[in-house]
Amino acid sequence: MNRIWWAQIKAVIRLEFRKTLFARRGLWIYVLAILPVLLYIAFAFAVANRQHHSEGIARRGEKTLTYQDLTAVRSGMTKDQVIAILGKAPVASHWTEDRPVENGQKVKIAHEDLQYSDGRSDLYLGVADGKVDYVALNSSNDLGQDATMFAGVFQFFFLRLAIFFGCLGIFMNLFRGEILDRSLHFYFLAPVRRDVLMTGKFLAGLLATCTIFVTSEILQTGTFLWHFTAAEQNIYLYHNHGLEHAAIYAGVTVLACVGYGAFFLVAGMVFRNPIAPAAAALIWEGINPFLPNILKQFSIIYYLKSLCPVEIPVAPGTSPFFALLVSNAEPISAPLAILGVLVVACIALYISAVQVRRMEVNYTTE
Amino acid sequence: MSDRIIFEDVSKFYGEILGVNRVNLSVPPGITALVGPNGSGKTTLMNLMTGLVRPSRGRVQVLGYRTDDPENLFKIVGYSTQFDSFPKGLTGFEFLYSFLRLTGEDSAICQQMAWRAIERVNMGEAASRKVAGYSKGMRQRIRLAQALAHDPKVLVLDEPLNGLDPLARAEMIALFRSAAAQGCYVIISSHILHEVDVISDQVILLSNGYVVAEGQIQSVRSEIQEHPTEIMIRCNRPRELAAKMFEAEHAIEISIHKDEHGLLLKTRDSDRFYLALNDLARNGIEIESIAPADDDVLSVYEYLIGNDEVVR
Repeated sequence: MNRIWWAQIKAVIRLEFRKTLFARRGLWIYVLAILPVLLYIAFAFAVANRQHHSEGIARRGEKTLTYQDLTAVRSGMTKDQVIAILGKAPVASHWTEDRPVENGQKVKIAHEDLQYSDGRSDLYLGVADGKVDYVALNSSNDLGQDATMFAGVFQFFFLRLAIFFGCLGIFMNLFRGEILDRSLHFYFLAPVRRDVLMTGKFLAGLLATCTIFVTSEILQTGTFLWHFTAAEQNIYLYHNHGLEHAAIYAGVTVLACVGYGAFFLVAGMVFRNPIAPAAAALIWEGINPFLPNILKQFSIIYYLKSLCPVEIPVAPGTSPFFALLVSNAEPISAPLAILGVLVVACIALYISAVQVRRMEVNYTTE
Repeated sequence: MSDRIIFEDVSKFYGEILGVNRVNLSVPPGITALVGPNGSGKTTLMNLMTGLVRPSRGRVQVLGYRTDDPENLFKIVGYSTQFDSFPKGLTGFEFLYSFLRLTGEDSAICQQMAWRAIERVNMGEAASRKVAGYSKGMRQRIRLAQALAHDPKVLVLDEPLNGLDPLARAEMIALFRSAAAQGCYVIISSHILHEVDVISDQVILLSNGYVVAEGQIQSVRSEIQEHPTEIMIRCNRPRELAAKMFEAEHAIEISIHKDEHGLLLKTRDSDRFYLALNDLARNGIEIESIAPADDDVLSVYEYLIGNDEVVR
C-alpha cells in the first residue's frame, strides 16, 4: 500500500475512533454491550445465594455428604436404603395421595419429598409408599450447563442483537451521520482518495466496535466464571477448552463486526433512513435457517453460527421450527466460514467504494 | 497541462431544479469574482470546481486536473465553503492540524503549517479554543485558514467576507491580493459588490444558472450597448462644456454637478466623445479629470441582472 495512503488512513482513524467511541449518541451501544455482563453478574449472585442455601441444608444433615453419595441413590430404592447411604433427610415434607383404583375405589399413598445437599449440589427425592420414585440432582456449579447457557446468550443476544445493532449505530453513522451534521465536506476537501477515506472510516468503526464488543466478551467470560472456585476455573480454562472457546468467541465477535460493519457502512451510503435496511437485515438474518442453501451464503449469521464452539442442544420435544432456529443444520468448516464472512464484507466494501466515489455534498436534499 | 480553470458546456441539475446550465468558462490567474443574486448558481459553480458535486453534463478541469480526482485536485485547491459546521469537539488548531494530517504529511510539518495558517488569518489567540465556541467571524476565518493551510495554487472562497468586521475584511482582502500577486487563482463569490469591484481582476456574472457575462469589468461594460456610457468630467466651465457636447450630437443626457465644477454625461458613443473632448480642451476649458462612472461591477450588475439583490 502506498505510504501516503496508509498515513491518510491513520489520520482518518485517529479522528473517527475518538469521535465514535465517545459519541454521546452512541451510549446505547455501550448499554447493549454491557447487558450480558450484567446478566452474568446477576446469575453469579443468584448461584451464590443458592449455594448458601445448599450449605445450610448440608450442615443440617446427619452425615457430611459427597457428590458421589448423592449420585448413589437410584429410583426404586427403599427409604431405609436411602437413609443408610445419606442419613436422615435434613429437609422433608409429607403428603398423602388418594389414588383411584378399579371399581371407583381409592387407596391412600403416603408421599415424602426429601432434600439432601453436599453444599454445592442438591438432591431432590420423591418417595411414594416407601420407595424412591423420583430423583433429581441439581448442581449450582455445572460448567457444561453454564457453557451451553453462555453459548445461547452469545448466539441469540450478543451476536444477533447487541453486535448487530451496535454495528448499525456505529457504521451507518460514519457517512450518514456526517451528512446529517453537515460536516462531510471536511473530508471531501482534503487531498484524499474517497476510497482511502472510506477504508479509514471503516477501520475506525471496526476498531471502535471491536474495542467495545471484544471487551464485553472478555468481561462476559470473566463474570460467567465468577461463581466457580479457582480450581474449577482452572480446569475449565486450561483443561476443558475454556480458554480456547473464549478466544473463538472473541474471534467470532471480531468477524461479526467486520461483516455487519461492512454491510451497514454501505447501507448508510445508499439509504437515508436506517430503519428500512436494519429491519430487512434483521429479518434476513432471522429467517436464515429456513432459506435454501444458496441464499444462506448471503448472510453473515450463517458463517458466524458455524464458527461458534458450543452447539446448543435441542431439548426433546422441541418443535421442528424452533429446533431449526437453534441448531445449525448444515455447519461449514471454520476456514470456509471465515472466508465466507470476509467475502461478504469485501463485496459490501467494494460497493461502498463505488458509492463513496459518486457521493456529492448536497446537504439541502438530505 | 492547462493553466486555466475550464468549464466545458457544464450543466448541473438537482433533480428537476437547475443549478447551472451550459456554462463555458476559462478562468485565468488573478482574482475572479462570481457575482449574482441568490440561487444564480455561484455556489454550484464552486462545488463543481472542487468536485463536491458532479456535473450532469460537460466537463470541469482545474489546471488540468479532473475534479473527480480529489487526491491530486486538493493538492492545488483550497476551498472555503459556506457550510458552517465543523467536526465536533475540535479546537481551531486541532481542526486545521487534523485537516492537514489528511494530506499524509508528518505531524511536525502539519503543526508548522497549521500555525502558519492560523497566523495568516490572525487567529493565534483563539486557536486553542473549541471551534463550537467561536463567533461567526472567527468561524469564517478558521475556514479561510483551512483553505489556505496547504498553500494551494487555486483558492475557491464562497462569500469569504461574510461575518467579518471591517478590519478583518481589509486584512482578508489584502491576503487575497497577495495570493493573486503570487500567481494564484482566487475565485471569490460575494454579494458585496463594491468589495468585489475593488479586489477583482475579472468577474463572472450569473443569473438563474446562466453565465450572463465574464471577463474584465471594463470590457464587459463596453459590450453592454443598450445602456449609454456614463462619464464624470471635472472642469472649470461645466455649463459651456455641456452646451458644446450637445452640439456634437452624441450626448444623450448631461447633468451639472452641484458644486458647478463638473458634469455627468451619458453617451452612446464614447469614442466620439473622447475625440470631441480633445478639441474642447484646446478651446480653453480646463479639464481636471475624466473618469468612467459606470464601468464598475455594481453598474454592470444592475444593467445585466437588475438591482433587487445588490448590496452596495
